[in-house]
Amino acid sequence: MSDLQQPTSPAPAAPVRTAPVPGGAGGGPATRFEITHGPSFAMLRVDLAPGQVVSAEAGSMVARHSGVGMEVKLNAAASAGFVAKLKAFMIALIRKFVGGETFFVNHFSSPQGGSVWIAPAMAGAIAHRRMQGETLTLSTGAYMASTGDLQMRLKFGGLRSLLAKEGAFFLQITGHGDLWFNSYGGVHSVPINGPFIVDNGHLVGFEGALDYVIKGAGGGLMGLVASGEGIVCEFNGQGTVYLQSRNRSALVDWLTPLLPR
Amino acid sequence: MQIDVGYRPAPAMARVQLAAGESIMAETGAMVGMSTNVHIQTGMGKRGIMGGLKRVFGGESFFQNTFTAQNGPGELLLAHSLCGDIVPLEMTQAGFLIQSSSYIASAPWVDIDTKVGGFKTFFGGEGLFVLKATTTHPGQILVGAFGGIQELQCDGDLVIDTGHLVCWDATLDYSVGKSAEGWIATFLSGEGLVCHFRGQGRIWIQTRNPSEYGGLVGRMLPPRKR
Repeated sequence: MSDLQQPTSPAPAAPVRTAPVPGGAGGGPATRFEITHGPSFAMLRVDLAPGQVVSAEAGSMVARHSGVGMEVKLNAAASAGFVAKLKAFMIALIRKFVGGETFFVNHFSSPQGGSVWIAPAMAGAIAHRRMQGETLTLSTGAYMASTGDLQMRLKFGGLRSLLAKEGAFFLQITGHGDLWFNSYGGVHSVPINGPFIVDNGHLVGFEGALDYVIKGAGGGLMGLVASGEGIVCEFNGQGTVYLQSRNRSALVDWLTPLLPR
Repeated sequence: MQIDVGYRPAPAMARVQLAAGESIMAETGAMVGMSTNVHIQTGMGKRGIMGGLKRVFGGESFFQNTFTAQNGPGELLLAHSLCGDIVPLEMTQAGFLIQSSSYIASAPWVDIDTKVGGFKTFFGGEGLFVLKATTTHPGQILVGAFGGIQELQCDGDLVIDTGHLVCWDATLDYSVGKSAEGWIATFLSGEGLVCHFRGQGRIWIQTRNPSEYGGLVGRMLPPRKR
């Protein structure tokens, strides 16, 4: 077994965050973890208890102790039986091609415990949330890893969301356990009480109690085309909205004209 | 030679203070700025043409620059091509193995040899070309990363994604292999190839994978017109 050594260099030392609820209400005991190198290049280390399982987005593993095993699973809960497995296969397929999620997730676990290091592909932060039975809705690609008993399903954002470049689907997560999601740039949480508008490309997620409508930023069709703001999400109610400080479409729009023809 | 690194973890820059007559060898294109009395000499390094060709094969440039402070002390600023951290490492008896694109600079007496990481890596996409840094005198090397750099202590064994490797102590045994049990599972897992480390030593990893990032952003870009 190996141990993590703190960086000898002083700079990347990031705040140590552990799950806020010791031995939470469900989804197993609080997971030991640390998020370092935030906000631009955040990395997650999960210290697995013996037998504990962490699921992570395919391709996100950075490192693991050799004693930690990796199993590839369909990105959908499959219970026993052929029909259930077929259903799980279809759900995973839909997630991949419609929802922009990966078809597979990797399960990491070890009978004797050990660590796994996980990082997203994009430059940005990692946020943690201990789920206690509430619902959280994430944008396409925001999910990174989780432990415990969390159910996920795809949710169609409505016909108007088809106009948005960021994808017309959301991932709705509910249950008990630890959830880690990633962003492009820093994650900013906005507690709202009443209406609040968010650019669709900057939306990371929101709490289930919020109502939302996807619409143009205002000014009709002209506003949609000329304001550069595109599609926005208008929230209403009381709860938290998570935003990211950068937008992938903006990166692509800036990069495209600079490429050689 | 005194090396300080600023703007950490990203985008880091190294300041090298050279005493009169002292020099440092650096990857071409790494220079950001320097005092006027620092002289650049471009060459193929100690290993001549073959050394240069091997570097090209390993994804590095054919030439290397040697910066020397003449007629008094001088200052040299160095940076990495990717947005990320830079770490100066003190050379050890065993030396280091460095993932080739992470190499930035080294003391002139440190021998840098290109090693090819085995044929598996050649087909893996994430070509693991490594440089071996060895020396008999004390000295420093500078390595850079994409994202933050994290030092891990290997005490027995660790498995690391080849795209996240920066460098490691040459005391460690390493082999490149599949990330899962079988090739199909390896392909499905999306983890590609991993490096299995055994023994005792330090490993420096980068918190982002350059080719994964490139693949993600590249997919969103329009196709190139021919």
